[in-house]
Amino acid sequence: MSNIITINAETRQNQGKGASRSLRREGKIPAVIYGGDKAPSHVSIESRKFDKEYKQSGFFSRLFDIELDGKKVRVLPRDVQLDPVTDKPLHIDFLLFVEGAKISVDVAVNFIGEDVCVGLKRGGVLNIVRRSVELLCPVESIPDMIELDIANSDIGDSLHISQIILPDGVSPTITDRDFTIATIAAPTVMVEEDSATGEEDEETEKLADSASSNDTEGESANSSNED
Amino acid sequence: MQQPKNTKYRKAHKGRIHGKAKGGSTLNFGAYGLKAIAPGRVTAREIEAGRRAITRHMKRAGKVWIRIFPDVPVSTKPAEVRMGKGKGAPEYWVCRVKPGRMMFEVDGVSREVAEEAFRLAAAKLRVKTKTVTRMGDGG
Repeated sequence: MSNIITINAETRQNQGKGASRSLRREGKIPAVIYGGDKAPSHVSIESRKFDKEYKQSGFFSRLFDIELDGKKVRVLPRDVQLDPVTDKPLHIDFLLFVEGAKISVDVAVNFIGEDVCVGLKRGGVLNIVRRSVELLCPVESIPDMIELDIANSDIGDSLHISQIILPDGVSPTITDRDFTIATIAAPTVMVEEDSATGEEDEETEKLADSASSNDTEGESANSSNED
Repeated sequence: MQQPKNTKYRKAHKGRIHGKAKGGSTLNFGAYGLKAIAPGRVTAREIEAGRRAITRHMKRAGKVWIRIFPDVPVSTKPAEVRMGKGKGAPEYWVCRVKPGRMMFEVDGVSREVAEEAFRLAAAKLRVKTKTVTRMGDGG
């Protein structure tokens, strides 16, 4: 597990959309911390600090320390609500870290060997079915990401969860089937467009030919007139 | 061009586009997307023109997803016809797009290629757009 980053937070006195909107105007994001035996606590955090962390991959599988009223609480981000137009975070859910608990976490899949992949070299496209996999794991040992090697995959191949070696104590939440994570698909081929463009090209060529012949005729006519 | 195979009713009310997109506002398939930031009725022709612009610029590499579908028929009256005597005939199909709606997604190409492809596609569309990148890819 990578080093844990600390985020400063303040307790929110007022809840609701009016109070939340005024917080956002001040450059803060309303958030909630829940889990364990404690009652949920409503907090606000600095959006600038949060944005920096949120843009990094594997955000939902990383633990954070939230400094609240001089105390540090360890949390795991569970949900981020975004504005559909601006994509700015509107609200964040944090789950309280409870030692010894097992939780389900979406862990990002990192594809390795893309440079040497046989299928991709032949013009195939890596069609990612799942960018993250839901794993059941102890809170203390959440993997940052899981790696999938695609070096030997060709066009038409499917890559499944069984091809990933998971750390000890970690298992996928879907156990009834060997689900697909990615496929190497053939590139998008537009047959209609081919024929259409071909026709267009032919037409333009014909037009160009006729135009050039007209020009030459015109020139010859002009020249004959001059003569 | 996209259009429904069959519809329950031949003609639709004009309607108004209010509010922001409730769904379809995040990247679900590709690494890069073209998102609407203004409301508008995007026609099937525009969607097809945008798709062609993207695929041609990407030189048929990568993969393109179209996240909108024109399912609203728009009717027009013939030229030099007096008002009244009923609604005109359906002429073309549109998609009501709300701000925040993801319209196109691409994957399998570099960021530069995707951005240029979206710039060309955006020129075909009547709504203001922006390019978005998947989280963790520097977006």
